[in-house]
Amino acid sequence: MPTIPEPRLEKIPVDVAVRIPDQFHNFVHTEDVLGRDKWTIELGNSNANFFNQLFNYMFTSVIILGEDDDPRDYQFDALIEPSIEGFEFSIPNQTQTEAFAVWIRYRMNVYDSVGTRASSWTVNAYGKSQKEGIGGSNALKRAAVLAMRDAAALIVMQMEKVTKIRDLADGPLTPDSAEPETAVADASDQAGDEEPASVIGIFAIGGIDDVP
Amino acid sequence: MFRKTLLVAGAALGLSACVTSHVEDDRATVTGLGSSESVVIMAKSYHQGNQTESDYVNCIESSLRSGSQGINVVPRQQFVDRLFPWFEPRTVPADTKGLPGLMERPGVKQAIADLGVRYVVWLDGDTERVAEGGSLSCAAGPGGGGCFGFAWWQNDADYEATVWDLRAAEAAGTVTADVSGTSFLPALVVPIPLIARTQTRACKGLANQLRTFIVQ
Repeated sequence: MPTIPEPRLEKIPVDVAVRIPDQFHNFVHTEDVLGRDKWTIELGNSNANFFNQLFNYMFTSVIILGEDDDPRDYQFDALIEPSIEGFEFSIPNQTQTEAFAVWIRYRMNVYDSVGTRASSWTVNAYGKSQKEGIGGSNALKRAAVLAMRDAAALIVMQMEKVTKIRDLADGPLTPDSAEPETAVADASDQAGDEEPASVIGIFAIGGIDDVP
Repeated sequence: MFRKTLLVAGAALGLSACVTSHVEDDRATVTGLGSSESVVIMAKSYHQGNQTESDYVNCIESSLRSGSQGINVVPRQQFVDRLFPWFEPRTVPADTKGLPGLMERPGVKQAIADLGVRYVVWLDGDTERVAEGGSLSCAAGPGGGGCFGFAWWQNDADYEATVWDLRAAEAAGTVTADVSGTSFLPALVVPIPLIARTQTRACKGLANQLRTFIVQ
């Protein structure tokens, strides 16, 4: 089971609840490549484990909620709801290199203690692993794990700044201060350099949040 | 027939694959390595388009460690994990200008001191096949099989190692290795591979020069 190391950062003094979606407990992505090869990536519980670890490292207090838990039964300053919005990969045949690459697009919704959305943040993560031996399913899985670690690094470094989650420790948003649909850019412009032409249409690397 | 095969095999063995190499360094500061100090070998980030093979990085690590003049090398995964998230492919400092600020981050200086890392070596480059030619065909039947023809290919290994001195927070210099190797595969019934170990030569050459560069 992949893990992330403890970050070299001070914890953010906010009591958070994290609602882990069901897809994080048994993530499987299957895709036909050029109609010939069928590739399956099974990440199982890795995402749930990753985010569980990550937020425990980042915040002073963390409650993990399941999909069916009612947040009103718990006390917290902020509720974080991560989800996977997109998953793409490339294999050596497509890129004419010896590398497998994976892109994962996470959505991080942050709510205050009364359920008002404070921020919605897109995290575009990228991982790349070189082909080793015959086949490639291990290299593809390793690329996916590196993408998850990339997401973790981004979240650790930028979440406080982008989502202003620290402010929620002072209480819920007032109607005047609520910015529920703020468009926020992440720092994935570098990852965009690695994007193969075939998936540019699917991933708007640059990370501008959708504005419903 | 058997005699002819032996003659061809003998002639081929008399030949060998061709490798040319050029290794040099460019020093910016005085270096040196104490007995309790270590280096860490990292591949430049793939976010910057670098394609350095992980087995090449492994080769440099083991070559630096080996022998009577071996130096201490901290495993890169251990270094990256202890300093998470500051040396991830996306977050790694692009140049030494960011080092003083990085050292001020909580726990960073202490983690580096605990590991004893004095130098970070950034590897950039890769080995590519740049030319190939000839033709070789093989066939098999009830009476046996064999190959006939001649094939060749050329690999170029171009690598650069940039050395950062963490104690001085500055770049100490670079070491480069440019190696070109041509492999041959003649076949008259039996193929006789004459393989140029281009990447291995680039590894040994760079590692030896790097050790000298750091220790002196």
